[in-house]
Amino acid sequence: MSRPARDRYRVVVVGAGIVGLFTAYRLAKAGAGPILVVDRGFLSAGASGRNGGGVRQQWETRATVRLAREAVRAYRGFGREFGTNPWFRQGGYLFLAGSAPEMARLRAVHEVVAAEGLRSRVLAPGQLGAIAPELSGAGIAGATFLASDGTLYPFPAVWGVYERARELGVEVAFGLEATGVRSDAGRLHGLTYPGGAVATEAVVNAAGGWSGEFARRAGLEVPNVASRHEILATEPLKPFLDPMVIRLSDGLYVSQTMRGELVGGLTIPHPPGVAPGLGSSPEFLPTMARALVTLFPRLGSLSVLRAWSGYYDDTPDGLPIIGEDPRLSGFFHANGFGGHGFMLAPASTVRIARSVLGEPIDLDPAEFGIARFLGPRPPTTSEHLQPG
Amino acid sequence: MSEGRSAWARYRGRPVDVRPGESLAAWWGRRGVAIVQRSIRYHRPRAPFCGIGHCTNCLVRVNGRPNVRACRYRPVPGDRIETENAWPSPTFDILGALDPIFARGLDTLHGFTRPAFARPLYHRVVRGLAGFGSIADAPSPVRPGLRFEADHLVLGAGTSGRAAVERLASGGGTGLWLDRGEVPNAPGGFRTLPRTTALFLPPPTGPAERPFRLLAASEDHVGVEIRARDVVVAVGGYDASLLFPGNDRPGVLTGDGALALAPDPTAPGFRRAILVGGGERAARLLATFGERIDAVVAPGPVGPEVSRLASERGVPIYPRTLILEALGRRRVRAVRLSSRSNGIPFDVPGDAVILAHRRLPNPQLLFQSGASMAWRASSAAYYPTRSNGVATSVPGLFAVGEAGGFDPARAASSGRAAAASILDPAAPVEREPPTPSVDGPSELEGYYRELLPKLSGRGKSIACPCEDILLAEIVEANRRGYRGIEVIKRYTGVGTGLCQGRYCLPDALLVLALLEGRPPPEVGYITQRPPVVPANLGALAGLAADPTPEGP
Repeated sequence: MSRPARDRYRVVVVGAGIVGLFTAYRLAKAGAGPILVVDRGFLSAGASGRNGGGVRQQWETRATVRLAREAVRAYRGFGREFGTNPWFRQGGYLFLAGSAPEMARLRAVHEVVAAEGLRSRVLAPGQLGAIAPELSGAGIAGATFLASDGTLYPFPAVWGVYERARELGVEVAFGLEATGVRSDAGRLHGLTYPGGAVATEAVVNAAGGWSGEFARRAGLEVPNVASRHEILATEPLKPFLDPMVIRLSDGLYVSQTMRGELVGGLTIPHPPGVAPGLGSSPEFLPTMARALVTLFPRLGSLSVLRAWSGYYDDTPDGLPIIGEDPRLSGFFHANGFGGHGFMLAPASTVRIARSVLGEPIDLDPAEFGIARFLGPRPPTTSEHLQPG
Repeated sequence: MSEGRSAWARYRGRPVDVRPGESLAAWWGRRGVAIVQRSIRYHRPRAPFCGIGHCTNCLVRVNGRPNVRACRYRPVPGDRIETENAWPSPTFDILGALDPIFARGLDTLHGFTRPAFARPLYHRVVRGLAGFGSIADAPSPVRPGLRFEADHLVLGAGTSGRAAVERLASGGGTGLWLDRGEVPNAPGGFRTLPRTTALFLPPPTGPAERPFRLLAASEDHVGVEIRARDVVVAVGGYDASLLFPGNDRPGVLTGDGALALAPDPTAPGFRRAILVGGGERAARLLATFGERIDAVVAPGPVGPEVSRLASERGVPIYPRTLILEALGRRRVRAVRLSSRSNGIPFDVPGDAVILAHRRLPNPQLLFQSGASMAWRASSAAYYPTRSNGVATSVPGLFAVGEAGGFDPARAASSGRAAAASILDPAAPVEREPPTPSVDGPSELEGYYRELLPKLSGRGKSIACPCEDILLAEIVEANRRGYRGIEVIKRYTGVGTGLCQGRYCLPDALLVLALLEGRPPPEVGYITQRPPVVPANLGALAGLAADPTPEGP
């Protein structure tokens, strides 16, 4: 366990995943003053080191499309800004519908995406061969495709932001668990950890799957629920699959990485909440294998190398929570990204950093603020295109 | 022999005259096929290394199916066997030029970001280099999985597993006995599953009469699911790799590899090998290969058995010696050594290097099951914490033989003890000889401390042969401030290849301990993710509860 070097910071970020590190980097770049990032694990121990690397711009809500579009631009230029190469490859995202209602949903998404000026396409089953020739057409009613969506290799992105943030003076303490905050009359003034505390005016909760738990430790009721999702990687093959393929019915997603491995998962129910250990279930491997060989019949002889799992940080309306908490001045939310923290991080953290610095942001608080869950009425907008 | 067969298996068009039961890799050895594969990143020449179905060195394409391991594949007439990742042939491969061009390694982590307009080109080229084989020519049928229930499940058909089964069978009840290889005829009540690999043993959560659940797959790709009351893990161990420049050169292979590739020890594919190791394992290999061993090199001291056998045969012994490099243009032709006492380098010629200096247990299933594991510094490996002789911390789970940390002389008795404890939990157990209270650091820690400073300027030391990751990359990650094996794994990719870390992590852990200046257990350990061995999607799919919904 490392200990903070100072006893006072301008900002303390809880969680050294991609959202926390990006936030710290942006704050440091803006000259915010001493910044500390604390994480109870090691670098990339959480979802930032466990995700499938998808970056898509096809969403049900226009604000999310805009954030994602900005993220795609950021990941395209990532190497020049951060020195590491995440190999962001724009092979497109292919969403598969298995029924007419699912196809209607994809059409609605297509309308939103097209309205933002992106060249999303609606495809009939007969048009899939040109995009994913190995895909079996069985059970596919139609699809949408956006060629500028893509995939990246998450680790180099984490290293790049981590290294640049540290070059800018950000201090990162691993193995240090944030246990709560200190506050006085609704104003935050410190963060506690086992055996100590640091003084700060601002705490950013970017704890991913643990952000609900941390907010509650700070005395704030939040709707975040952690959900465990499993994923696997196969042995590498020569490239045969360009796009990320998503199946709406079971949330299956799969893409082929730069190293040639297939990486993907699907949703099988697990009890909500953070369970000790991040193990795999004996149900996942057979279920995912069945789904893969159904979609790609020629993969039957391919081997699975490893399976693992990670936590989504889910909110009831599927949209993240960004900005200051009206109940506790100085407590900032940067969480609730579901399974999409990595893809939205470059854009959403621009807003998170601005809100910490007291600058105006271009996100509607009715869509992204915590206040939407605090009133008597449920939020009006929702984003439920959740897989991959 | 193959006379009278209507068709031959063909390897690269050449008829394969395999003997009954002979693997393709053994045939290569017998027929002098020296280079069979090119490595994934630098297209370095490769030849069989582990011999037991873990490494990537012998992957071939068989009848249009990619990534088949030649060391475990027995060709049948009519087979069409092709090489992967080499063009036009493994011996003369155009992309082999990548190795000298990127003599200091290829930095895909930081490179290839400028100029922006070249990114699509970089992507095409680098992506094209990925992977060994291409997707299969045809779909393979998904066969329904097999489900079994048994009182006793015994994993492994070596000495300790056999002893457990014999004793358990005498107590009645039903049993299942499986092994990756063959399984002997079992006594009454036991059913055997030969050529079946255990993949995943999660912590037991099932009903009290069958709490354990094991996923496995047969060699012919049928999924197997077993529920059992108790489990005896007798999955043995394997010969580890060693770090030195050229450690992936054709001709460098493990003791397991030497034995597996030479069912007939008179035709093992080498004539004057250099045997590495001075302990019991090295003695066994020296006894097996006799005249074909030209020298014995030991990183540490040499035991009495090796000394006796070597002096009987007039084989020179180099105890406490560093291996500085395996020399040769393609295949090994010599090793450069230096005594750990005086440090003057000298060369010893040989056409193979057989690594038998370190036996490691197979701990993966035990880790998965949630058993408490303890680091044993002297052998630099994790073993289950045992209570009552052979019981692990998971009720009903027993670890015996090499996997349980017993030396070969106690393999059978450990198996019997597990069985006795299962049949009568109240029975008195054979007492273990007390574990030495002083558990000194392994000989290899000191070895690597001396070796690492001497490696600069020499050729590539391959830390992870599956992914072609260099020792220099681990050192660089450390220099950049990354600490702990979990982070180093993610930073370098070490441990993410087909061998599941068997041939990279044990040495990486020792090197990192030196670089980080802390004991290996503090450097951490990789989570043992399922499956334990790469598992066929078709086999796993056969175990799915019900078909994935396909829509209307």
